[in-house]
Amino acid sequence: MDRNQISKWLKNPAKMANKYSFHVVYFCTGCGIIEIPPSITTRWDAERFGIIPVATPRQANLFLITGYVSTKTLKAIIRTYEQMPEPKYTVAFGSCPINGGMYYDSYNTIKSLDKFIPVDGYIAGCMPRPEAIFIGVTHLWKLIDMDKADGYKRYREDYEFYRENQEQLFGELDWPPLFQNKES
Amino acid sequence: MNIIAIFISPLIALITGMFFLGISRKIMARLQWRYGPPVIQPVIDVIRSFSQMSISHGSLFDFGIILSLTGSFVLILFLPIGELCPLTSGGLIAFIYLMLLGPFGLALSGAIAANPNSSIGISRKFLLSLSYEIPMLLVFLSVMTYYGTISLVDIVKIQASSGWAIGSWTLVLPGIAYFLILPAILGVRPFEVVKASQEISSGPIAEFGGKHLAFSTLQHALHMFVGLALFVDIFLGGWTLFGLLDFLSGTAWFVILGIIIFLLKMTVVFVIEIFINAVYPRYRIEQAMNYLLKWPTLISFIGLIIVVLVK
Repeated sequence: MDRNQISKWLKNPAKMANKYSFHVVYFCTGCGIIEIPPSITTRWDAERFGIIPVATPRQANLFLITGYVSTKTLKAIIRTYEQMPEPKYTVAFGSCPINGGMYYDSYNTIKSLDKFIPVDGYIAGCMPRPEAIFIGVTHLWKLIDMDKADGYKRYREDYEFYRENQEQLFGELDWPPLFQNKES
Repeated sequence: MNIIAIFISPLIALITGMFFLGISRKIMARLQWRYGPPVIQPVIDVIRSFSQMSISHGSLFDFGIILSLTGSFVLILFLPIGELCPLTSGGLIAFIYLMLLGPFGLALSGAIAANPNSSIGISRKFLLSLSYEIPMLLVFLSVMTYYGTISLVDIVKIQASSGWAIGSWTLVLPGIAYFLILPAILGVRPFEVVKASQEISSGPIAEFGGKHLAFSTLQHALHMFVGLALFVDIFLGGWTLFGLLDFLSGTAWFVILGIIIFLLKMTVVFVIEIFINAVYPRYRIEQAMNYLLKWPTLISFIGLIIVVLVK
């Protein structure tokens, strides 16, 4: 930790603690699972950045979606995201969550994940190397510093938009809305 | 003096417990040839958890974790940290009663969360604590019989004049037994069955987020402190260091140096436990129970018989 960060720590400890302690839920849907074990174990050691995998979404504040998102797994992703306590950040890993990637013409793969849950940052590539996770994390630090990693606020404000997209895809959803409508 | 000690000794315990969590992660990383997180990483995690929104599953869910934390805080007050001991009455009897309050509170709040993983974790936690409490009771009994007192302060004072308990041949077997059950008290491998994050999604704390998670981390730190401090107080002579500090006795430096020596002894014991944690895999719960009810119980029972015969 830098010595010149002490004033930042005193000014806003919650924000700085959110920066330097990422408890991650890995949602490994495709080939992205291959890149995660080397990045959290001895070779690349994500723990020196304060990144540690946790077992339940309740304890997490970073949601890493690696690989393509099929229609079936999107349900689990939405439910996991809604169970995480705020503030929470989402990073999509690989080119598949951005625009479908090599599954661009597949009938049951989600082309753009951003329509269903808010994504704070993307790491492009097919596949990105584990170093790219760390570059992505340092970029997320900058975004948190500038208050631009506001995906959870967008989800709260534009919940009707996201819920509408989810219902359009799945038909009737079998869980109640997370936030109540503002009008009713 | 006593009023100040009531505030200072939980503070020392909290800081030391968080420091122990930090060095355990750092040492584990270094043993695996990693760089590892900074030592204050658990403190950062706790600050983050406090700042996060927490989801409650009812009033009992909040009450249980508070009860668990309170139980650990109360135990600290019965514990002589160096020469600092706010509550001198009670002694080892208080520990026999209050050691189960931590698991009990955690079980209350885990049970109300209705998560199947936490139910499994709770049943494991109770089985584990019931199986390490039997050898612990036998160890306490033999220590109380040998020294003829239940007061921890008196036990430390007798050791200051007659040498460490683990050095005397009568109490070496209870000492070994307590060292064997120490990983189970601390919740590290090979007895990491309760918070097995790969198996049961971190067990009783599976539904804890935000402030509840922070409280459970603090409770874990305090519980670790209690387990280690009991070992140091009963068997490693508390604040004594072979009579080297006797020329300072009566001054304030004596108290401060006593606390530092006490914490250093605890650190040494804890680092040995971390080495054990690093090289062993995890037992299954029935293997852990078999082990705990077989070897430490046998050793401490033989130790008790020897103590009764010698006395």
